[in-house]
Amino acid sequence: MADLSVSLCGINLKNPVIGASGTVGFGREFDEIYDISVLGGLSTKGLTLEPRPGNAVPRIAESRGVILNAVGLQNPGVESFIEHDLAWLQGKGIAVIANVAGSTLEDYEKICARLDGLVDMVELNISCPNVRCGGMALGIRPENVKEVTRLSKGALKRTPLMVKLSPNVESIAVNARAAEEGGADCLSLINTLTGMAVDIERRRPVLANNTGGVSGAGVKPIAVRMVYEVAHAVSLPVVGMGGITCAEDALEFIMAGATAVQVGTANFTDAMAMPKIIEGLNAWCDRHGVERLADLRDTLTLN
Amino acid sequence: MKEVLATVLANAPIAEGVYSMTFSAGTPMPVRAGQFVNLGVGDGAHLLRRPIAICKAEGENITVCYQLKGEGTRLLSRLPVGGKVSVLLPLGNGFFVREEEKKIALVGGGVGIFPMISVLREYVPKGKEIYSYIGFRNKNAVCCLDGLEKSTALTVVTDDGSYGKKMNAVQAFATDMDRVKPDVVLSCGPVPMLRALKEVMQGTGIPCYVSLEERMGCGIGACLVCVCNKTDGAHARVCKDGPVFNIEEVIL
Ligand SMILES: Cc1cc2nc3c(=O)[nH]c(=O)nc-3n(C[C@H](O)[C@H](O)[C@H](O)COP(=O)(O)OP(=O)(O)OC[C@H]3O[C@@H](n4cnc5c(N)ncnc54)[C@H](O)[C@@H]3O)c2cc1C
Ligand SMILES: Cc1cc2nc3c(=O)[nH]c(=O)nc-3n(C[C@H](O)[C@H](O)[C@H](O)COP(=O)(O)O)c2cc1C
Ligand code: FES
Repeated sequence: MADLSVSLCGINLKNPVIGASGTVGFGREFDEIYDISVLGGLSTKGLTLEPRPGNAVPRIAESRGVILNAVGLQNPGVESFIEHDLAWLQGKGIAVIANVAGSTLEDYEKICARLDGLVDMVELNISCPNVRCGGMALGIRPENVKEVTRLSKGALKRTPLMVKLSPNVESIAVNARAAEEGGADCLSLINTLTGMAVDIERRRPVLANNTGGVSGAGVKPIAVRMVYEVAHAVSLPVVGMGGITCAEDALEFIMAGATAVQVGTANFTDAMAMPKIIEGLNAWCDRHGVERLADLRDTLTLN
Repeated sequence: MKEVLATVLANAPIAEGVYSMTFSAGTPMPVRAGQFVNLGVGDGAHLLRRPIAICKAEGENITVCYQLKGEGTRLLSRLPVGGKVSVLLPLGNGFFVREEEKKIALVGGGVGIFPMISVLREYVPKGKEIYSYIGFRNKNAVCCLDGLEKSTALTVVTDDGSYGKKMNAVQAFATDMDRVKPDVVLSCGPVPMLRALKEVMQGTGIPCYVSLEERMGCGIGACLVCVCNKTDGAHARVCKDGPVFNIEEVIL
């Protein structure tokens, strides 16, 4: 039995496996299938100040080895989460990470102030379109990344801040440094890559939104490369994700420099994916005589 | 709600482009009429499960019928007897018929006929009178008659008149509605069919429940991918709040 626990910004996770934002809701549905207290943590569906209805359907499409989604941040709003779901989720004894989004800089500041001290960590989703940037995501330009991080950090007196980086950028390492300068406590990556799938019979994009975020097994090599670059560009802990389906995938991220990992799309393919990954990490460590999983972090030697 | 690695007991065509698969879930599954399963395609390239209605549940054994549509259903059709398939089940709310509703009309078209069979299996033994109006594309698509014939009265029609009258299921029901006077109407089929049914039902005061289809991610209510629009402006999850909704409460 290896020690799978990891420490992230002073928070102890019993293992490095975190449910990725948007794929596990607030945990209740997966808890009907297995006890989610086995997880290291859970990142909530992206929360906004007010409830949001989200996009038209279809919101999901499939392409070889990947999926595309355009949910459009449907969520019941931060107050509903605090009132109805937070206490239940905390009762599960896992790290509760509130994933937040906004359409203005002020939104981010307000929602962070509201969640300060209530959750274990706040994760900033800066990949959604923002009015401040004329509809472009705040997460694209380094100066915007720094600004939204600085304002959010200013509103968080007691809760560590994780900034989730978008891969749809010129240099993810440059944006990582911008988040570090803005005061981020840790970074997570990658959010989805922008893509399109076409229904050739109708000669229309499959998604009602035309474009959507690509995730799932096929994005893993891109995600691992980016995690490696970011982990070596900043001195902050990094949470890696993108296409993780099994323990071996998670280990690639950890060896490339990630302290913990998030698992998203794999939960759709296999509802038991996360418990299986946790068991698999333990089995791998045992087979390789590794006593502490944390010792594997950043052990990659380049060729 | 459970994820099981089921064993395929049978998987063979029952009509042109339509397969029936029976698998053993390994443990007895309590299933309500109108619930569905999410089948893993299991090849590593298709990451999303395929939602398919449950036709028949007998202890551990579940039967589904599916039309070959794209790559996923084609791959499922190649599963051999004895093969394994990952199944998430049972999902969704299902059809619920009240005690006082004695006469049920079933209106099914296309792949929407399959959940109707589960209604017949659950409610005929409970003494309900069931009048079924079932529409197929043509005579080569006609299937599941043994299950459908459990109805008190069965009307089968086809789009081209090659089997039964040339009309659709809603037309067949509409011409019979005043005579039969059902207490409740249950339906599943393509959206244009459901829209036509909504029009027929308007002002009749007869409750009508429809089973909807939408593309899904998780299939259990967590990802908010599969929503439909409710008349009150809210979004409901087809996989968890549905797939069965009161026809008056959804925008089709
Ligand atoms: C609750 C429910 C019950 C259903 N019951 C049945 C049934 O009993 N028999 C049957 O033949 N079909 C049924 N369907 C439709 C069935 O899910 C699709 O035909 C099937 O997913 C197509 O997969 P594919 O890979 O062959 O097609 P592709 O078009 O290649 O699929 C691509 C993606 O789109 C999704 N998709 C495509 N069409 C639909 C659809 N109509 N509804 C939902 N997702 C879709 C697929 O799941 C997949 O993720 C049901 C759908 C729902 C939502
Ligand atoms: C359906 C769906 C919804 C998502 N919603 C959010 C969200 O609300 N906020 C966010 O930061 N990321 C969201 N994501 C992105 C994931 O958290 C994750 O970054 C991405 O999917 C890559 O990981 P994966 O390949 O393991 O899925 C969503 C992803 C999916 C598939
Ligand atoms: S498919 Fe995830 S909520 Fe319905």
